[in-house]
Amino acid sequence: MAKSKFTTAVLLLVGMLGVVTAQAEEAEQIFNFYCAQCHGVEGKGNGPNVTEDFPVDPRDFTQAEEMEKLSDADIKNVILEGGPIVSKSEMMPPWGKTLSEEQVDALTKYLRKLCNCVGNAD
Amino acid sequence: MRFAVIVSFGLAAVTLSMNNTASADPAAGEDAFNANKCSDCHYTRGPAREKTIADQLAKKGPELWYAGSKFQQPWLEQWLQDPQPIRNMKYNSVTEENPGGHPKLAAGDAASVTEFLMSLTSSDVEAGIIKPKRHPMGRLIFVKKMPCSGCHQFPGRKFTGGNSGPSLLHAGTRLNPDWIYAYLKNIDTFKPVRAMPNFSGILSDREMQSVAAYVATFE
Ligand code: HEC
Ligand code: HEC
Ligand code: HEC
Repeated sequence: MAKSKFTTAVLLLVGMLGVVTAQAEEAEQIFNFYCAQCHGVEGKGNGPNVTEDFPVDPRDFTQAEEMEKLSDADIKNVILEGGPIVSKSEMMPPWGKTLSEEQVDALTKYLRKLCNCVGNAD
Repeated sequence: MRFAVIVSFGLAAVTLSMNNTASADPAAGEDAFNANKCSDCHYTRGPAREKTIADQLAKKGPELWYAGSKFQQPWLEQWLQDPQPIRNMKYNSVTEENPGGHPKLAAGDAASVTEFLMSLTSSDVEAGIIKPKRHPMGRLIFVKKMPCSGCHQFPGRKFTGGNSGPSLLHAGTRLNPDWIYAYLKNIDTFKPVRAMPNFSGILSDREMQSVAAYVATFE
């Protein structure tokens, strides 16, 4: 009896971990597909579009001191509407007609993982 | 009477021999497409099948089910015989460069495969709307107002564009101007899952037409 309870608990835990990694994988896939072309797969702002003459450096998401200045709402807003909505470069595209609400939420969490930071305003 | 019989017999023979030599009919082209294993990497029956990112990443080459609406026939026939890279990056990759080496066709197969591909059209592309034009408005959108140049190589002066999208150099001889507009307007119809944002609704209809006309001038 004790043993079967333990097994159930282990199975439950394993199952939950499975769900967590599935979600993390999904966010990584979304990021790599849409964002890495400019921000780079590691989020350092060095994707294949960023050649010497690229007009503005895409944000380096691993720089906590810059990413802290943005709240989660700021991040979502710029993803949906593009750079100009926050007086940033038009090279940051508007994704509001492309990504779903859930995808933008997943990306926001993923950027927080990359910077290992929270927004000061949150 | 006898003369008429000879003439019509002769005409029939000419028609027959034309069908034999000019293999340029879509069905023969489809056979050549399959025989050359083109179908291993390209699907030719619409509508679009991709629903998830994984679906798109599983594709080994671009979809060709609307090739007849997208490409210009002379470009296509020539490219199939001497395929030079179109995308700077390897298909579906943001880390590896395009290695080139696309399969080549001999002139005869290229002609019939072109005939087949040009027969694959989409009713979502309206003909005769976009005339190539170096519109100031189109240029402003492409290089300044929108991030088009961030992802597409183009004939710019100093900044010549990004690398993640297909190069738009030679878009003026490669792409059908009306398709460019249709693609911008109804992007999900042609490529439901792609790394390019949907601009329909962000750009007005007039703006999409002017940027399409501008792209259609690229050499
Ligand atoms: C075409 C290139 C490009 C793509 C693709 C792109 N970005 Fe950006 N992004 C930029 C640039 C350039 C900046 C910096 C703008 C500036 O500093 O003026 C930026 C800035 C940002 C910022 C910081 C905004 C701020 O206020 O500092 C966030 C957040 C961001 N991008 C998220 C994303 C996400 C998420 C994706 C994928 C859905 C993405 N970006 C795709 C180019 C791009
Ligand atoms: C191993 C997979 C593979 C095979 C086999 C293959 N292709 Fe391709 N094809 C590709 C890839 C990848 C591209 C993109 C090339 C580039 O951007 O430079 C491409 C591009 C094309 C294009 C241009 C499409 C576009 O949207 O830019 C056409 C047309 C085409 N192929 C026709 C053919 C024909 C005809 C054959 C058979 C002779 C063939 N392909 C065989 C992978 C393949
Ligand atoms: C974030 C990067 C990005 C931005 C910004 C972008 N594109 Fe694209 N574009 C792509 C990618 C990637 C494809 C290829 C999609 C596919 O085939 O899966 C593409 C495809 C195209 C094509 C079809 C090319 C072909 O040969 O198949 C045209 C035309 C085009 N884009 C024009 C534009 C215009 C005009 C703009 C600005 C209004 C723009 N793009 C903005 C990435 C981008």
